[in-house]
Amino acid sequence: MRVVIAEDQVLLREGLGRLFEDAGHDVLAAVDDADRLRAAVSEHTPDLAVVDVRMPPSFRDEGIRAARWIRDAHPEVGVLVLSQHVESAGAVGLVSHGGFGYLLKDRVLHVAQFLEAAERVAAGGSALDPKVVASLVGGDADSLSALTEREREVLALIAEGLSNHAIARRLVLTDRTVEGHVRSVLMKLDLPESGDAHRRVLAVIAYLRAADPQR
Amino acid sequence: MRARRIAPWMAASLTVAAVALAFVLNALAGSHGEETWTGVAYATAALASSGAGLVLAIRRSANPIGWLLLANGLVLVAHQVATPYADYTALEDPGALPGAEWAVLFHERAWPTLFICVTAIALVFPDGRLPSPRWRPVAIVAGVSFAALTVVSLLSAERYSEQFDHFSSPLPELSESVVGLPFMISGLGSLAGLVAAALAVRTRMKQASPVQRLQLKWLAFAALLVPAAVVASLIESTITGSEGAATVIASVIALTAIPVAIAVAVMRYRLYEIDRLINRTLVYVTLTAALATTFAAISLTLGVAIGSGSTLATAAATLVVVLLFRPLRSRVQVLVDRRFDRARYEGLRKIERFLQALRAGRAAPEATGEVMADAIGDPGLELFFWLPAEEVHVDASGHVVDELPTTGGAHTPVRRGGLQLATVVHARALAERPDLLESVIEAAGLAIEIARLRVEVRRRLAEVEESRARIVTAGYEERRRLERDLHDGAQQRLVSIGLALRHVQGRLPAPSPEAAELNATVAEVAEAIEELRELARGVRPAGLDDGLCPALRELASRSPLQTKLEATEERFEDKLETAAYFVASEALANAAKHAHASHVTLTTARQNGHLVICIRDDGVGGAIPAQRSGLTGMTDRVAALGGSLRVESPAGHGTVVTAALPCES
Repeated sequence: MRVVIAEDQVLLREGLGRLFEDAGHDVLAAVDDADRLRAAVSEHTPDLAVVDVRMPPSFRDEGIRAARWIRDAHPEVGVLVLSQHVESAGAVGLVSHGGFGYLLKDRVLHVAQFLEAAERVAAGGSALDPKVVASLVGGDADSLSALTEREREVLALIAEGLSNHAIARRLVLTDRTVEGHVRSVLMKLDLPESGDAHRRVLAVIAYLRAADPQR
Repeated sequence: MRARRIAPWMAASLTVAAVALAFVLNALAGSHGEETWTGVAYATAALASSGAGLVLAIRRSANPIGWLLLANGLVLVAHQVATPYADYTALEDPGALPGAEWAVLFHERAWPTLFICVTAIALVFPDGRLPSPRWRPVAIVAGVSFAALTVVSLLSAERYSEQFDHFSSPLPELSESVVGLPFMISGLGSLAGLVAAALAVRTRMKQASPVQRLQLKWLAFAALLVPAAVVASLIESTITGSEGAATVIASVIALTAIPVAIAVAVMRYRLYEIDRLINRTLVYVTLTAALATTFAAISLTLGVAIGSGSTLATAAATLVVVLLFRPLRSRVQVLVDRRFDRARYEGLRKIERFLQALRAGRAAPEATGEVMADAIGDPGLELFFWLPAEEVHVDASGHVVDELPTTGGAHTPVRRGGLQLATVVHARALAERPDLLESVIEAAGLAIEIARLRVEVRRRLAEVEESRARIVTAGYEERRRLERDLHDGAQQRLVSIGLALRHVQGRLPAPSPEAAELNATVAEVAEAIEELRELARGVRPAGLDDGLCPALRELASRSPLQTKLEATEERFEDKLETAAYFVASEALANAAKHAHASHVTLTTARQNGHLVICIRDDGVGGAIPAQRSGLTGMTDRVAALGGSLRVESPAGHGTVVTAALPCES
């Protein structure tokens, strides 16, 4: 996997680079602001761009804006946005387009899960931070009241972008059991069944947002 | 200091005692005594002068006029006593009392002393100083001349009047050839002094300030009563053949009026009444003259026609006069008003009415400027208050006026007790009538001072409110900075450390105790990061950067209650969004903690230029603001931004918290 990293803090930038390199990926460029990120993405057309939300000069949403630019200018490049806090508004909108991930920064400490999500995004899938998913699922008890506890767990993992197999591994269940839960969830929420993990994510997220128009 | 207080009383008491003595002596003098009205006139003059002098010498002891009036009273009473003393002990009962020849001498030759105090008063009226230093030689010449004239007069060999002709002076008598020239010189000097005193009054009239002009008017008015009294006396003696009641009354009034007028002028007590007094006097004198003429004409004409002494003629004349009184009075009044200045009197009346309304709470002191414009009759007149602390002028609504308007206007400062209170901008034409402007300013002084104080207090209050808003806003800014520092500083650093540990862990053989220890450490770091994130969220939710609505959405999703959000996507000023967010956060926390609510509705909207946020729960209600100190703190912050926070919490019917924050645009 060919990776470009944009992170303004030196230590973190180097740590991230080492993380990807340790896992056998190529870090083509590690830059510290959005302009250099755009230049690096245009130059290398990597599989994945890892982008910090807050970067110079204003430290507000430079990263999100750069991510949008990459999606428009280089749709083939996966973008994984790293944030310090849960910002569901902008993130969910971007995730629904695929090839996009939104994770809290401290997810990098769970190396395996982080790399798995990064690879998923690079492959055109999606990754949504569990915290964001929790805020989507948690505030909407009415519409999800039909689901069992386990089914809700599965729903959250679907929203995070995980495949059936990944869900099975995460929950330490067999693939078949997970398939059964997924089918049950989709049926209860009246969502179309689909083999494509990404389209399934979109449907679930769309459902969750529709259930509460404010989200 | 003690003597200054005692002396006036002693002089006045002495005068009163001497007046009594004079009347006793006059009674003793029997057929040689003076006529009653002369005594009454003298007594009145002495007592009035002494009384006015007493008041002035106590209240305005620095002004010599009071002392001069007291002295004048003593001089007058000395003459009043000397005459009946001489009458009694020289003529009626010779040798009854000692010093008859001295009394006669004083009576016959001390007359120059009568003019000394009067001349001095005229020279220094009304402020107790000469009109200018150049007048000093004049005053000295007058003083020396009067002293010399008195001495020469006492020493001259001029014959006494008939009844005292057989007395001789106890002093040496100098012949005509010796005293002739000194008498002429000192006489001319004294005369010049009298003329100079009159001129001094005239000079002052010309260069007088409006107040001084009024003071002089009082004196002039009183002085005019003297010829009026003479005329009255002449009329009476012509009609009745002798001086009687009319003469006595007229002279008493005239002689009392002068010292009283002097006292009024110097004390500045009811100074402005003079115009009305003159006005009324003119009206009634004219009216009386007209009615008297009419009465005389009718009774004379009818008397000729019907026969002299007819009661019918008198009755008819009286009837006509009675019928004429009212219409004639108003005609004369209009005439006098038109002829003489009434503008100021009317202006002052308007100010007076305004002050009454002010006291009764029917008018606001800020209207002073408009009332003054109306009173003076200059619609362009404006009043600007001076704030010495800020060294600026402000208008009645407290707005700073950098430069006072100058186009076609003149500036007159308003002072009170040596401090500048305000500046009046008025038409240049008013400069020709400074007395009108100045008297109106003086009359409105208290209202101006009150208005100025109110404007100043309001400005201070506005400043405090502004600084309170700034403090709250600065607090929000501080929270934002703190949140940034936590996220971008400490939290990032912890992530870096975690990553470094993971890197080390990756190099260790997987199932080693060191690797397991590192794993546990990283887990702790992750926990620390989570805690920091929660801390930062409490300081200021990062979602606020994207707007109030996203931040509230996030808040609602974290609430344990069923939260319905109806929020406008509109953006507001950062401080308003932050304040509204914390109100919502506090209200949600209370709903969960105290109200035992299960459902909460959170709405935001722009209403009438306000950001209105409303949090409604279905809990137990009955919230007392004091028990919810968090909300009390929010009330203060909302108020600091000029908004209001209301808590409605009827027991058993849930709680509604509504905050309205004014938007600047």
